[in-house]
Amino acid sequence: MTTGIDLQASFVQILEQFGLPHGVAKLVWLPLPMVLIVAAVTVLALVSTWLERKVSAAAQQRIGPEFMGPQGMLVPAADVLKLLTKEDIVPAKTDPWLFTIAPILVFVPVFLSFLIVPFGQNLVITDLGIGIFLWVALSSIAPIGLLMAGYASNNKYSLLGGLRAAAQSISYEIPLALSVLAIVMMSNSLSTIDIVDQQSGYGILGWNMWRQPVGFIIFWIAALAECERMPFDLPEAEEELVAGYQTEYAAVKFMLFYAGSYANLVLSALLFAVLYMGGWESPIPVSWLAGLLNVSETTPWFQVVSASLGIVITLFKAYLLLFLAVLLRWTVPRVRIDQLLDLGWKFLLPIALVNLLLTAGLKLVFPGAFGG
Amino acid sequence: MNLAEGVQIVSLGVLAFLMLATSLGVVLLDNIVYSAFLLGGVFISISGLYILLNAGFVAAAQILIYVGAVNVLILFGIMLVNKRQDFTPVRNAWLGKAATAIVCFGLFALLSTMVLATAWPISSGPIAGDAALVEIGKHFFSDYLLPFELASVLLLMALIGAIVLARREFLPEEMVDSTDEVLTLPERRRELTSTPRQ
Amino acid sequence: MDFANLSAQLNAGAILPEGIVIITLLVTLVWDLIVGRSSTKVTPYVAIVGLLIATGTLFLQWDTTEPISFLGSFNGDAISLIFRGIIAISAAVTIPISIRYVEQSGTSLAEFITILLTATVGGMFLSGADELVMIFVSLETLSISSYLLTGYMKRDPRSNEAALKYLLIGAASSAIFLYGISLLYGLSGGETRLSAITASIISNGLDESLGLVIALVFVIAGIAFKIAAVPFHQWTPDVYEGSPTPVVAFLSVGSKAAGFALAVRLLVSAFPLVSDQWRFVLTALAILSMVLGNVVALAQTSMKRLLAYSSIAQAGFLMIGLIVGTDAGYSSMVFYLMIYLFMNLGGFACVILFTLRTGTDEINEYSGLYQKDPLLTLALSICLLSLGGIPPLAGFFGKIYLFWAGWQAGAYGLVLIGLITSVISIYYYIRVVKTMVVKEPQEMSEAVANYPEIQWNLTGMRPLQVSIVVALVFTSLAGVLANPLFNLATGSVSKTPMLQATEPMTPVVSQAPEQLPMPTVESVDL
Repeated sequence: MTTGIDLQASFVQILEQFGLPHGVAKLVWLPLPMVLIVAAVTVLALVSTWLERKVSAAAQQRIGPEFMGPQGMLVPAADVLKLLTKEDIVPAKTDPWLFTIAPILVFVPVFLSFLIVPFGQNLVITDLGIGIFLWVALSSIAPIGLLMAGYASNNKYSLLGGLRAAAQSISYEIPLALSVLAIVMMSNSLSTIDIVDQQSGYGILGWNMWRQPVGFIIFWIAALAECERMPFDLPEAEEELVAGYQTEYAAVKFMLFYAGSYANLVLSALLFAVLYMGGWESPIPVSWLAGLLNVSETTPWFQVVSASLGIVITLFKAYLLLFLAVLLRWTVPRVRIDQLLDLGWKFLLPIALVNLLLTAGLKLVFPGAFGG
Repeated sequence: MNLAEGVQIVSLGVLAFLMLATSLGVVLLDNIVYSAFLLGGVFISISGLYILLNAGFVAAAQILIYVGAVNVLILFGIMLVNKRQDFTPVRNAWLGKAATAIVCFGLFALLSTMVLATAWPISSGPIAGDAALVEIGKHFFSDYLLPFELASVLLLMALIGAIVLARREFLPEEMVDSTDEVLTLPERRRELTSTPRQ
Repeated sequence: MDFANLSAQLNAGAILPEGIVIITLLVTLVWDLIVGRSSTKVTPYVAIVGLLIATGTLFLQWDTTEPISFLGSFNGDAISLIFRGIIAISAAVTIPISIRYVEQSGTSLAEFITILLTATVGGMFLSGADELVMIFVSLETLSISSYLLTGYMKRDPRSNEAALKYLLIGAASSAIFLYGISLLYGLSGGETRLSAITASIISNGLDESLGLVIALVFVIAGIAFKIAAVPFHQWTPDVYEGSPTPVVAFLSVGSKAAGFALAVRLLVSAFPLVSDQWRFVLTALAILSMVLGNVVALAQTSMKRLLAYSSIAQAGFLMIGLIVGTDAGYSSMVFYLMIYLFMNLGGFACVILFTLRTGTDEINEYSGLYQKDPLLTLALSICLLSLGGIPPLAGFFGKIYLFWAGWQAGAYGLVLIGLITSVISIYYYIRVVKTMVVKEPQEMSEAVANYPEIQWNLTGMRPLQVSIVVALVFTSLAGVLANPLFNLATGSVSKTPMLQATEPMTPVVSQAPEQLPMPTVESVDL
C-alpha cells in the first residue's frame, strides 16, 4: 500500500542537483514541514470558522456571510486582519506575564499535535513510534494554559471559566485515552500510520467504527468536550460566565485562543477520521479501483492520483465530522457543570473501561478480526 | 553526523538551563502560583531530556502524568484554596536559609563527586529507540510482572482512599445530631481533659 | 500457554497468602458496595478469616524448596514467611480492636478494613520482595495505605495534621530511599535483583566506590524511617497521637515488622560489601533509639505518646539482633517481634477500650481504674510489664534472648546500653500500672469516677474483649511456653539460605569474643 512518494528524499535530491552538499540540503528541508504544517493548519482552522458561520446560518435558516468573496469565503481572512490590527489590551491589575504566556500554552500543543496526523502513507511529518500517545500527552498541557489564563485575568468569571475548562479537560481526557487505547490494542501500534494500515484493505467495511462502535461514540463525545464544543461549552458559557477565561482577552491573544480552539477541533476531527474512519483510505479500496482501471499500483501517475485522493478523503472525512459538530451546536442544549462531570466520571469512564476489557477479550477470541 | 551532534549539544544546554532556571524559580519565588506554573516548566524540560536520551515514550508519559495530572492537580489545589494570608516575617530567617543553602550545596558537592568519581558501567546494548515501548511491555509481563500487578492493587486502594477522604459523608440517622463529634478521634483534646481529683 | 502451566513456571503458589488477602480485600469492598452500611456485621469477620487462612497457607509453605517466584521478583523463603505471618496476624488482631472504635466515630468500617488489608498486602510483599522495583512498589503500597489510615478521622484536625506530617516526611524518605536504590541499579550496571547486585558490582570493580556507601546511607535512611529509629523518628509521636488508635497499633507492629524484613533482606543480600559500615550506622541508630526513646518516654503524659516513644525504644532493641548478624541474633529478633506483636497490640487494645469508655488517653486519667474495671487493669498491666521486660512475662524472655545473642556475638556496649535503658523503661511502664492500681478511691480521676457500665453487647465490643483476652493469655504464657515460637524463630533463620551464606559480625562466633575485638562496635562503645 505504499504510494512510493518520499518527499524528503526527492526534495534533497533536487537540491543536490543544484550543487548543494547533502548536509545543507537536509538543513534546508528541516524547517519546511513545520512551516508547511503551520500554514496548512492555519488554513484548515480558517476554513472551519467559515464553515461554522455558514452551517450555523443554514441551521437557523439565514444566509450567513455572503458578500466578502464568493459565499463569504474571505470572512475568516478579514477576521484575522481585524484581530491583528486591533489594540492589544492588557488590562490593569492582570498578571502581564502569565496573561501573555497562557494563550501560547494553549495554542502551541495543538499545533505540535499535527505532527502525527497522516494524510497518506508517507504524507506525515513524523511517523513517531509513540504516535497517538503524543497527542494524548500534548493535549494534557492545555489545562495549564487555561488555568493560567483564568488566574492571570484577575476576574472571577475568568477564574471560574479557567477552572471549569481545566476540570472538563482532565475529566474527558481519561475516557478519550481509554477509547484510543482500545484502538491501539487492535492495531498493536501507537503509530497513526499503522492504525490506518490496519483498517485498510476492505474499504469502508474495514474501518474501526464497525469494530469499535462504543469507542466511536465515547471518543466523539470526549473529543467535543475536550474542544469545549457546544453541549459542553461551559467554560465560556456566555449566559453564566461572560466568556469564561477568554473574557479579558483581545486582539492577537484572543486570536490565539480562537485559532487554537478551531485548530483543536480540526485536529480532533482528523484524528477521529484516522482512528475510526480509515484515515486516507477511500470507502472503496484503491487497489480494487486500480484493478478496475487495469493499471498497476506502482504506476507513477496513479501514485500521485491516489496520494492526492488520500489527502482529499482525509480532509473530507474531517470536515464531515466538523459539519456534524456544528449541527450539534445548534441542536443540543448545554449541560450543567455537575451533569458534565457526572457524565464523564460516572458514565463514560466505566463504559470506556468495559469497552477496553471487551476489546481485549475479543482480541483473544477472534484474533483475525480484532488484530491478533 | 556533526549536524545532529551539534543540535543535541545545543538542545541539552538549552534544556539544562531551562530546568535549572525553572526549578530555582519554584523554590525561590514568593508567589506560590508562579512556583506551581514553573514546576510545569521543570517537568517539561525533564521530558525534553528524555527525548534527547531517545526515550520518546517516557518523555510523553512524563508530560501526560506530571504536567497533565500532577501539576494541574497542584494548581487546582492552590486555586480552590485561595487563602491569601501574609506571612509574618520570621526574624533571622536568613539563618535558616543559609543553613539550607549550605546543606544543599554540601549534598550537591558530595553527590557530584560521587558521580564523577565512579566508573559507571554503561550498557553496551543497542539503543532501543522507538522499540523501547515494546521492550517496556515485555518487561512488564515477564520479570516485572509482580510489581506491575501489585501496582494495580496500589492504584485501586489510592482511588478508594481518595474518595473516602474527599466525599461528603452520609451519616446514619442516630449520629446526625452530634455532628461535632462525628469523624473525629474519640480521644478528647488535651486541654479538655480533667485533672485528677485531689 | 495455558494458565496452570504459566503459574507453575512463575511459581505463583509462593504468593498464595497475599492472593488470599487480596481476594478478601475485594470481597470486603464488593460486599460493602452491594449491602451498604449494614455490611459491618459481616465484613470484619470475613477479613479476619481471610487473614487467618493466609497465615495458615504461610504455615503450609514452611518446608518449601523453591522459594523464588515470579522470575526472581519474590522470594518466599522461611524468614519472609515468618515476617509475613507476623504482619498478617497483626492485621488480624488490629481488625477486631478497630470495629468499635471506627463505628463510634461514624466513619465507614468497610473502607477502613480495605485500606488496612492493602497495607497488609504491601507489608507482606515487602517482606518477600527480592528485587528493587518490587521493593519500592510494595513499600509504597504499605506507605500510602498508612497515610490514608492515619488521616481517616477526617474532621479531626489532629488526624489531618498527623496524616499530613506522615505523608510529607514519608514522601521525602521514600524519595531518598529511591535515590539510594537507583544508585544501586547504576552501580550494578542495570541489575534489579538483590541476589545479582553484589556479584555485578564486584565484576564492575565498584566494590569500594563512594557510590556504594552513599547508596547504603540513603537506603538506611528510608528503612530507618519505616522502623522509626532515631533520628528518623520525629514523625512518630505526632502521628501516633493524631491517628486512630487501631491504626497506631498496626503501624507499631505490622509496619515495623515489614521495615525489619526489608532491612534484613536488603542489607544482607545487597550490601554485604559494606557490611561493616551498615553495622556501624545501625549500631549508632540502635543506641540513639534505645536511649532517646526510653528517656523521652519518661516525660509523656499521653498514653499514645508514651507507647510511641516506647515503640521507638523497642525498635532499638530489635536492631541489636540485626546488627550482630549471627543466627542467634536474627532468630532472637524474630522471636522478640512475635512476642512484641501480642504485647504491644494487647496494650493498644486496652488503651482503645479505655478511650472508648472515657474519651481520653491521658495517663493521669487512668488513676484508680482498678476499682472500676479489673479486667482492663489486669490486661494493660500485664502488657506494659511485659513490654518493660518483667519476668516471667513473655517480654522478659524475648529481651533475654536478644541480649544473650548480642553478648555472645561480642556486642557488649550495645547490650549494656540495652540493659540500662530497659531498667529506665520499667520505670515509666510501672508508673502507669501504679497509677491504675495503687491509688486510693479518693484519688480516682474524674473520668474513672464516671466510668460507664460495661456494655459488651454493643457492636464491636465483643471482638475487642476477645482480642484483649487473647493478647493477655498470650503475653502471660508465651514466655513460659516459648518452645514452639522459639523453634519457629530458629527454624526460619536456619532454613533461609540468604542468612546462612553471609558472615556474621564476628568471623568465628564460637571463639571467645575477647580475642576478636570488633572495630565497628568498639568505636561506638561507651
